[in-house]
Amino acid sequence: MSKPNHLVTRRDFIKGAGCAAVGLAAGLPVLAEEASQEIVIKSRVVLIRNRDVVSGSGKIDGALVRQMLDEAMVALFGKDKAIDCWRQIIKPTDIVGIKSNAWKYLPTPPEVEQAIMSRVLEAGVARENVAIDDRDVLGNVVFQRATALINTRPMRTHAWSGVGSLVKNYVMFAENPPDYHDDACAGLAKLWELPTVKGKTRLNILVMLTPQYHNVGPHHFDKAYTWSYNGLIVSTDPVAADSVGLKIIQKKRQLAFGEDRPLQPNAHHIAIADQEYHLGNSNPSKIDLIRLGWENDILI
Amino acid sequence: MLAKENAAKDLLSGMRTSWFCYSALIVLSVLCSCGKQRHGEAVNLTDLLPPQISSCERQADTATYDRETIFDYIDGAGEVYRSYDFREVAVARYVCEGGAMLRVELFDMGSDADAYGVFSYGREQEEIGIGGGYELRGSVLSFWQNRFYGCVSVEESDASSGELLLAAARAVSHRLPQESSRPSLVDMLPSDNLVPHSDRYCHRHQSLNYHFYLARENVLHLDSTTNAVLARYQPGSTLLLLVEYPDSAKASSAAASFMQTILLGANGIEPTALASGKFASCEQVGRYLIIVLESPSVQSALSLGELARKRFAEFLSQG
Repeated sequence: MSKPNHLVTRRDFIKGAGCAAVGLAAGLPVLAEEASQEIVIKSRVVLIRNRDVVSGSGKIDGALVRQMLDEAMVALFGKDKAIDCWRQIIKPTDIVGIKSNAWKYLPTPPEVEQAIMSRVLEAGVARENVAIDDRDVLGNVVFQRATALINTRPMRTHAWSGVGSLVKNYVMFAENPPDYHDDACAGLAKLWELPTVKGKTRLNILVMLTPQYHNVGPHHFDKAYTWSYNGLIVSTDPVAADSVGLKIIQKKRQLAFGEDRPLQPNAHHIAIADQEYHLGNSNPSKIDLIRLGWENDILI
Repeated sequence: MLAKENAAKDLLSGMRTSWFCYSALIVLSVLCSCGKQRHGEAVNLTDLLPPQISSCERQADTATYDRETIFDYIDGAGEVYRSYDFREVAVARYVCEGGAMLRVELFDMGSDADAYGVFSYGREQEEIGIGGGYELRGSVLSFWQNRFYGCVSVEESDASSGELLLAAARAVSHRLPQESSRPSLVDMLPSDNLVPHSDRYCHRHQSLNYHFYLARENVLHLDSTTNAVLARYQPGSTLLLLVEYPDSAKASSAAASFMQTILLGANGIEPTALASGKFASCEQVGRYLIIVLESPSVQSALSLGELARKRFAEFLSQG
């Protein structure tokens, strides 16, 4: 008979182990270590929404994005001030790559990129040691020397992988991205073992301001299949953040179509990232979800 | 060859035909040329795009992408096209009076069948009147014609977008070869209780998994040499999967793999209850497999299998 698991939430862990440990952990190495001790660590995920962050015309309010991100950081790391949370995960000597997403129809909004950039600079990193990039991360000298990565992208449905996710966002670190396309991109979590990436991710921000819940054809985009959810999902665990985002997308599909219409394909790379690659937690019972802000139609 | 023998028995009893008829059916299935209808000749896709569409003028920056460079234009979803015999796509921008921007993409899919396949990939509705069929959804119109798959889209849709998209698609269609042939395998689907526009034509197991997740492993031994069509039927959302292999030996091997892996050793003819509570069956007819999935009952699985066999007999006897 195995010993009963002692349930420790990430909040407990933060209290017990102190902030520095969490900053170093970035969600991942600690999970593996703790798993070997049969201690269940919950991944903390902050979902923050603001009713006014996206205007009726689709314009994003940069000041509100910064405010949301600050509040999310405070909730995630349990400090009084957002900048102290940033200083916990980013040292002035770090070289920081902000891995964005440049998909032309639904890119990472510049307002999100700039909110991250400004806080990284405030944490003391020299301007020349910070870069934002997507398609050219392998050729970008900052990313080549990066000691820390911040991963951010919008969630959207995707005709080959189910959803465009935080786990998937590192595909541009691959020399040959199609190598990861097999079986609906099942093995995307392998990307996180690449030397340019491994152990460097300090924060993941899944942009849920105007997520896309359905495709038109294999690769097209129609704004009709996006909606103003006005949220950000922030976590040190990319798998947990993706799992929360995925649930929201699935719920939106159910409401929009009036029936349970599963994603095609089923975005199994997120669960596989947990079950086979131990990159993070996909099981809701191992996710400590903190909801902040606007609650209307939260869908989770 | 147990599956084949069982298939023969069932076919004989179900159709009340003579053994001779069944033998003829097998021979016809082997002889019938139902593979991909390929057209090898190269074309200059850019030349096929009209210089002007209504008030919209084509810009000089038309770009083309092939199987290797498709990811420069489309991200991982480029695999959808590569899962077919995709050759090249031309992408043109048109600027219209008033500043609206129209984008036209013309894909050379290598064959009529594969142009239809990629059209069917995410289709929800289908209209006739442009090429072999088209779908207008919001700001995007897609159609297939001959070996080509076309998409026209506007960045910002408004009340006039539909008319503009239709005009653009017609203008492109006018410059393409007019004849369009659906894959023969699609015509082999029984029409009774078929959910309209639900058929999906593909080749590889990744594509099949997109439409219905069967397994991570390539249980049905699908590859670029195989043709498959998956369609939804009433009652419930029963699925009928027809797979065409290059020869009966490959079909037999795939049937054995399916029965071992999915039906957990059952013979395939009698519907088997799966963990989901739904029923599945598998039957080989020459170089084809007839597979029923997601059936709510034994009876509905049997009925659909029977319908499929009858349709096979009709189709193959027509040569």
